[in-house]
Amino acid sequence: MENLLSIVLWLPFAGAIVLMAFPRRAEGAVKITALIVSLATFGLSLAILGKFRTGTAGLQLGETLQWIPDWGIRYALGVDGISLWLVLLTALLTPIVLLSSWYSIHRWPKEYAIAMLALEFGMLGAFLAVDLILFYVFFELMLIPMYLIIGVWGGANRIYAAIKFFIFTIAGSLLMLLGILYLGWLHIQQTGVPSFAIADLYGLTIPMKQQVVLFFAFALAFAIKVPLFPLHTWLPDAHVEAPTGGSIILAGVLLKLGTYGFVRFVLPLFPDATAEWAWLFGLLGVIGIVYGALVAWVQPDMKKLVAYSSVSHLGFCVLGIFAMTGASMTGSILQSINHGISTGALFLLVGVIYDRRHTRLMSDFGGLAKTMPVYATLFVVTALSSVGLPGLNGFVGEFLILAGSFRTMPRLTIVATTGVILAAIYLLWLVQRVFWGPITNEENRNLPDIRWNELAAMLPLVVLMVWIGLWPNAFIRRIEPSVQQLLTIVSRGGEQRMILAGPAAAPPAPADREAQTRSNGAAR
Amino acid sequence: MTLTPLLEPNWMRAILPEIVLSLSGIALILIDAFFPRIRPYLSQLTVLALLGTGFAVMRAPGGTYFGATWEISGLTLLFDLLFVGATLLATLFSREYLSREGLEGAEYYALLLWGTVGMMMMAKGLDLLVVILGLEMLSICLFVLIGAHRKIAISNEASLKYFLMGAFATGFILYGTALMYGMTGSTSLTQIGQWFRGTDQAGPLLTIAVVLVMGGIGFKLALVPFHGWAPDVYQGAPTPVTAWLSTAPKAATLVALVRIWHGLSGGPEPAAWGGLVATLAVLSMVVGNLVAIAQRDLKRMLAYSGIAHVGTMMIAIYVLRPESVAAITIYAFTYTLMNIGAFGVVSLLRKSQNDPQTLDDVAGLGFRHPFHGLALAVCMISLAGVPPTAGFIAKFYLFKVAIEAGATWIALVGILASIVSVYYYLRVVYYLYMKEGDELAVEPDRGVFSTAALAIAIIGIFVIGIFPTPLFRGALEAATLVLRVP
Repeated sequence: MENLLSIVLWLPFAGAIVLMAFPRRAEGAVKITALIVSLATFGLSLAILGKFRTGTAGLQLGETLQWIPDWGIRYALGVDGISLWLVLLTALLTPIVLLSSWYSIHRWPKEYAIAMLALEFGMLGAFLAVDLILFYVFFELMLIPMYLIIGVWGGANRIYAAIKFFIFTIAGSLLMLLGILYLGWLHIQQTGVPSFAIADLYGLTIPMKQQVVLFFAFALAFAIKVPLFPLHTWLPDAHVEAPTGGSIILAGVLLKLGTYGFVRFVLPLFPDATAEWAWLFGLLGVIGIVYGALVAWVQPDMKKLVAYSSVSHLGFCVLGIFAMTGASMTGSILQSINHGISTGALFLLVGVIYDRRHTRLMSDFGGLAKTMPVYATLFVVTALSSVGLPGLNGFVGEFLILAGSFRTMPRLTIVATTGVILAAIYLLWLVQRVFWGPITNEENRNLPDIRWNELAAMLPLVVLMVWIGLWPNAFIRRIEPSVQQLLTIVSRGGEQRMILAGPAAAPPAPADREAQTRSNGAAR
Repeated sequence: MTLTPLLEPNWMRAILPEIVLSLSGIALILIDAFFPRIRPYLSQLTVLALLGTGFAVMRAPGGTYFGATWEISGLTLLFDLLFVGATLLATLFSREYLSREGLEGAEYYALLLWGTVGMMMMAKGLDLLVVILGLEMLSICLFVLIGAHRKIAISNEASLKYFLMGAFATGFILYGTALMYGMTGSTSLTQIGQWFRGTDQAGPLLTIAVVLVMGGIGFKLALVPFHGWAPDVYQGAPTPVTAWLSTAPKAATLVALVRIWHGLSGGPEPAAWGGLVATLAVLSMVVGNLVAIAQRDLKRMLAYSGIAHVGTMMIAIYVLRPESVAAITIYAFTYTLMNIGAFGVVSLLRKSQNDPQTLDDVAGLGFRHPFHGLALAVCMISLAGVPPTAGFIAKFYLFKVAIEAGATWIALVGILASIVSVYYYLRVVYYLYMKEGDELAVEPDRGVFSTAALAIAIIGIFVIGIFPTPLFRGALEAATLVLRVP
């Protein structure tokens, strides 16, 4: 198992290729094969966890192959505390999605399974890649299956949502591509060799002016992905129109690429610009928290409510990242996982009643706890986890973020805290209107309770909610060393800026160096 | 200039590809006339002729010939292969198209082959006159091929339009060349280059000459503002011809442009007339992509997308250097594969040439005919520049070169234009997979030839997209040789 990461990465891809050969009529075989492939991927990802050395900060299980050597592009994979749990979350959610949509995808089930596996391939690749171009390739690669999932299997207004999703994301990422190319050029100038390896790029000295421009080129791409207020408008559309499985993946994993990108690339690559502009992103994060919560409050549609709650919850993650303390950043990464679990579960549960009643309006329901007791129990637990009830996972993440952020951004943190209260209001209100009270709508009287496949999909998520809630240390221990190392890189950049800003040393140094490397380049 | 050693040893082998193509064309016409029983196999014979040409290309000895007016180098080898490949793909798509439209005839294939000779001359010419001869040879073949649909009005219109525009363009180029000859005393690109290196004065005559040549080439490349003919011609021409004419001739013209521009700039430095090139590039990228959004006719949409893509390639001319020639090479290969693939699928739709081939005609194709749908989708995604397709690698490297040359601003324009282009390329994917076709939906022809051609296009797109290194290395090595300062 030398190439464990590669095996985990390519298994879903191989599965998708194999599925293409299946005849379209063999629906059952397609579903079972896809499920087996995704479960095997999850099993192997557990092996990554087993091999992961807790307490190590750097990249582990690394693999490197030359890909396009002339341009310094490598096929380089690795995993550290920042990406470990995201990889596992991705591997976990894919079988859950396949299970939950066992009966609900009627058109083209084979193509749906292929798209899901291709999507998993893209997501895993993005989290595992430690070469910037490789990351970019996977980052864009996953857009196509997601575009198809929303566009082919989505709701009434799916085309608009799918195209909006694609254009928003690609607009950001293409500008980031320009930034990546510029970084690569800087690397050639400063060292004479081309490289896009993240670790190499961390070592660049980038003049402040360029750093700010590059910072925004990257930050825009990830802010769209998170999505950060005011770039969030694609998200409610995409969520509402996407099929349940698409929503689960979108909320559970795709959005995490935004926060992951901030942590992995933006902060360590552009530490000075980050130090200068962190307040803006903290502020936007907090606006997102409050705005998302307020808008979620007034939604009549359950799925839209959950979608806006995503905007709110991810605001916490962004605040925690840009507060740049050990606790807040660890909390952000943990909260990314929590959000994937809780919100993924919420979308799954909303999908369950949508399949039965073909409506998601809260006013159409009421008193469901009497007809669907198991379902109601699961929903309440999930909602409480999303609210952040102590003992469940949401509490741990939010507490870490708020406690950590208070040290560096006290005023913003105070405002952010209202988000927790608002979350309790809108989610509990949802629970009250849908599950408690008398059954007002006769159609709800004979709804069948949760099915085997939905239960099988939900159980692991509920277990994790409790597990992380009661025993977060198992998770935090693996995240923390990497976060500490990252913060050293970021603060080192900050110190450098202090030196550069000093009166004598600053201006001539970079210019000299540039000229020197240029002449070196010419000599070669 | 000495006239004596005009024929170097090996000269036969040096122009063997051209000889094979020319003779094959003649042979095809004779066969059509005298051996009616072989008539059904004309396309197979054409394919054989092209394979033979490819073999001859690989064996052509490098060097300069015919009094330094003709160059065989790594670059011409790569581009020869591109022309032969493009003609091959066009031939494969033509078979089904021609039999459906009742246009079969040897002259069609012969003209394709002779046009290929013209392109090879353009790419190999070290003398402006050779380039112009090649250009004319190509253009005359194109005038006829575009109008091959004699009974259809839009085809005639397209032919006439291209003829008038093409004649003007050639006139411009010739006039510019004459002026340049008057200034520098030579039509040889090498000597023009030397003259430029020896002088630092650029009179108004020279400016006029450069503007005229660039204008003529702009017509041929369909760069904004010289693009007016492209959509009509693309729409009116038989679709396989459109596929061919939108790719290989552009590549040939770009090679000629690289040589001309290199001669003018006197070394791999940003040219004095860079602003002209940059303007053409930016206008083409912006106008091409914006107008393409409004098109519902697939061929017209691809015409505008082609304008934008050639505009993108002009960025490489703007920052002319060996790397940018390599970038043009990769881009040209990629563009040829994906554009011929896309036009190829359109050419297979069973619909009369006279009616527009709109987006509605491919509605639901992705599920009804998975292979054809996939082929068109892959071409669109590659045209949009999404990894891991070749379109991404081509754009990636081109912008990389631009940034390394310090022209970040034009790369930014290119990126912004690509964002716009994503919309209309994706719209095709949306029609393919997210819209139901009605009962009147157009079915595609499904023959062995066209399937093979589509497979070549798809595989090529992914191979260049994932393993660009061999092509890149070959192109860079060749480009360094071409751009050397003698």
